[in-house]
Amino acid sequence: MNRLRILLQNIKRGVVTEKYPLEPIRVPESFRGKPVIDVDKCVGCGACVNACPPNALTLEEDLKEGIRYIKLFVGRCIYCGRCEEVCPFDAIHLTKEFELATTSKDDLYQIVGLRMYKCPICGKPYTTIRLVKRVIDKLPPEERSLVLICPDCREKITAANRSFARR
Amino acid sequence: MTSLYRKSLWVFHLNTGSCNGCDIEVLNAFTPAQDAERFGVKLVGSPRHADAIALTGPITREALPRVIRALQAVPEPKIVVAIGSCACGGGIWHDSYSVLGGVEKLYKILKKKGIKKPITVFVPGCPPKPEAILYGILLARGMVKQKQKSRIYIESESTELMISKDLIETVKEQVMSSKISRKQVEQIASIVR
Repeated sequence: MNRLRILLQNIKRGVVTEKYPLEPIRVPESFRGKPVIDVDKCVGCGACVNACPPNALTLEEDLKEGIRYIKLFVGRCIYCGRCEEVCPFDAIHLTKEFELATTSKDDLYQIVGLRMYKCPICGKPYTTIRLVKRVIDKLPPEERSLVLICPDCREKITAANRSFARR
Repeated sequence: MTSLYRKSLWVFHLNTGSCNGCDIEVLNAFTPAQDAERFGVKLVGSPRHADAIALTGPITREALPRVIRALQAVPEPKIVVAIGSCACGGGIWHDSYSVLGGVEKLYKILKKKGIKKPITVFVPGCPPKPEAILYGILLARGMVKQKQKSRIYIESESTELMISKDLIETVKEQVMSSKISRKQVEQIASIVR
């Protein structure tokens, strides 16, 4: 009798198996999936690179071409969401995508290349044009000229001026 | 790849030093809720019976000889399904001394030993959902299409900073001339500090 009851229960409950590859499934509301960089918002500041625990996000600079690359390797990402937390411009987000299987490793990369700004004194690129734009907009007009010099040159100027001031 | 695996794919689960997160998800994929066996995918107890290896973990040095032995035991043609971030690219352990860090580095060692590189499917996730593992195995069988693709964006060359020339001139003047006022010196110094 007992087995008959279990059988009836199971018939009432119906099929529990998901029809997954044929039908899409719903993921939970708080699910953390593949991170995606919004190329229009990203300024290349590298805050996410500092925060990333497994170094899935890396920053590389091509000084000859003057491009800063932010590389996201999804294959190493642990989906902690720190990059999303730390991004000052809301440029990186974790989506709900989880079907990331690929047959080649190259398909797991997202690369964002941003042009760099060159220092007018030494001509060395030191930061991205987008970041300089953002900073300039926030500063009062009399301080804007300070952003346009690279840190090395700025240091030299300061040193020179200090010795000048001591005399 | 599709023609080779039209029939049932038998999988051997190989743990290479994983934290057991991915292993639990692999087992989950075979429970009634996801039921991988409806596609003919079956877990087997020996690599000699298997067509594919479900590899989890970053491949520790201790596990390396056993991994090579298990890979050699699988008959050709074989598939390696690298499950989890650790197996794909090393994950959080990628720069640790005691792990190889991903299957790509394992293949370099295999190449030195003269073993052919198997077909690989990468299933990233930490851990991947059981559905994601199912998707990866079905991708190996050619039943679903690949959705993930690389994205490359490079800013156009014509991008320039739109600042007034006066501003640049003032910068150059400030630097070249020694006529920097005391106030400006203080300003510069405060920023450097």
